[in-house]
Amino acid sequence: MTRPESRALVFGAVLVVCIFASATFASWLPLQISIVTVFLFAGPHNWFELRYFLMRLPVRFGKSRNFFLTAFTGLGILTISYVALPVVYRATSWTNEGWSIVIASWNTLLLVWLCVLILLRGEQKPRSNWTWAVPVTLAACGLNWLAPDFFSLALVYIHPLIAFWFLDRHLRRTRPSWVATYRRCLAIVPVVVLLMIWQLTQTSSLAETNGLFWRITQHSGAELLPNVSSHLLVSIHLFLEMLHYGVWIIALPLIGSTVKRKSKPIWDPKSIPIARHPRGFPKSMALLLCLGLVVVVVLWAGFSVDYATTRDIYFTLAIAHVMAEAPFLLRMI
Amino acid sequence: MKRLFAISSLVVLLGVALSARADVPRPKPSQTENKRIYSSLQIVPDSKANNARLQIRQSDLAELRAALEGTPSSRPFAASITNSPTRTMIAGLLLFASLSFAGVWWARSRSGSGLGRTHKAVGIVVIAVATIGAAAIITRGNAGPPPSYSWRNLPNALAEGRSTGGQVIIEIVPDNQIPDGGVKLTIPLQKKNGNGEEE
Repeated sequence: MTRPESRALVFGAVLVVCIFASATFASWLPLQISIVTVFLFAGPHNWFELRYFLMRLPVRFGKSRNFFLTAFTGLGILTISYVALPVVYRATSWTNEGWSIVIASWNTLLLVWLCVLILLRGEQKPRSNWTWAVPVTLAACGLNWLAPDFFSLALVYIHPLIAFWFLDRHLRRTRPSWVATYRRCLAIVPVVVLLMIWQLTQTSSLAETNGLFWRITQHSGAELLPNVSSHLLVSIHLFLEMLHYGVWIIALPLIGSTVKRKSKPIWDPKSIPIARHPRGFPKSMALLLCLGLVVVVVLWAGFSVDYATTRDIYFTLAIAHVMAEAPFLLRMI
Repeated sequence: MKRLFAISSLVVLLGVALSARADVPRPKPSQTENKRIYSSLQIVPDSKANNARLQIRQSDLAELRAALEGTPSSRPFAASITNSPTRTMIAGLLLFASLSFAGVWWARSRSGSGLGRTHKAVGIVVIAVATIGAAAIITRGNAGPPPSYSWRNLPNALAEGRSTGGQVIIEIVPDNQIPDGGVKLTIPLQKKNGNGEEE
């Protein structure tokens, strides 16, 4: 066995162990593990994502100017409007139906933004035709208007899976020989999810003895799916979330550092191309990374003082990083 | 200056976060609206029975209890969607547009340099989703006559000793709405004029 092959096998073995360990912990004590996981990894994974996105940012936008302008403008508008929703909710007395329309409208804006980004990215690939995005977006918008709450819940479960796509694209660039092993290991995830459904579907729902436990079960869709055990819902969501954190915090940085033997440490701003470039922005990058670290520490402090409120604030503001993944993933395709 | 800008940005960010206080909370419970359960009712005249009897299914009772306790009901998934005319109309228009665009895209792709496997798969998925969605909307759109229609022959059926069935809303009301006590059944019957036509 050659050295690259053995390395790919080790990578695959670690991945399989992580998948099964995450599933076991998520099924065993879903609420407790969820609290600990979010406390420890939510902030750091955002920092690693920020760093990864900065590494993918070109020094000059050039032909991608429209793409990045659309991406950042949409990101700003959608994030602000999403953060404003709870404030508007408290200030108004709209009916549930009125709120469904508001949520459906926001989801539609998100889908339209994604569609425009796909079309703009498609323009940069003259050999391919990406206009399929229009009918797909319209169909997704239609389904969203049928059941906006379920559409939002689908985003909660789909978002952790996007990390696998990032890792796949990253491996194709940096470790092509690992891709086959990675994809084989990835095929285990749906099997594990089915096993979890089989094991947990008959379990009684988790006791919502306090506001925090209630928030966690609601986040996983317990209110929308009352006939499904909340134990099952929280476990599956936590399982996917743990893998998501694992990809961003462990897999992507480690693979990045093993490719180049003389690569700079991840906390060094010079490890980011846009900071290294003669026409780059080293100070801005350093400031952004430092600011990110401050936010991580503030989050940890917030979780320690008032976990429930900090969790709510985090998951509201975290919509920005969910959406930011879209343009950078498109740039990698 | 840059440091001041960074500190100001952080303060504004934290200020927004604290004032937002985050996630959309549990919907505000309506204090004035009565709790309702949609079910069906069958009225059966029985010449052999010596007492009126009200029978209720266990699942309806469970839903009734859930409504009383304010816990989530076991309403089927299908019943929880498309119960809004506005949203249904918008969804229908979007799915119709999706189907149209998918058709045009499909035709243009075929006339091009050849249809890839990905394109074929995407086309099939979009058309399938849009068709199923449109079919669901059309099915719900063609919902039939109003619920009162099934009760129109109740007087004749009772006189002839036949059973009659139709939709019923089980509604939990405050005590003062039924001052005489017990259970109140309201049947939507139209008055008929001399010619036998409904007024």
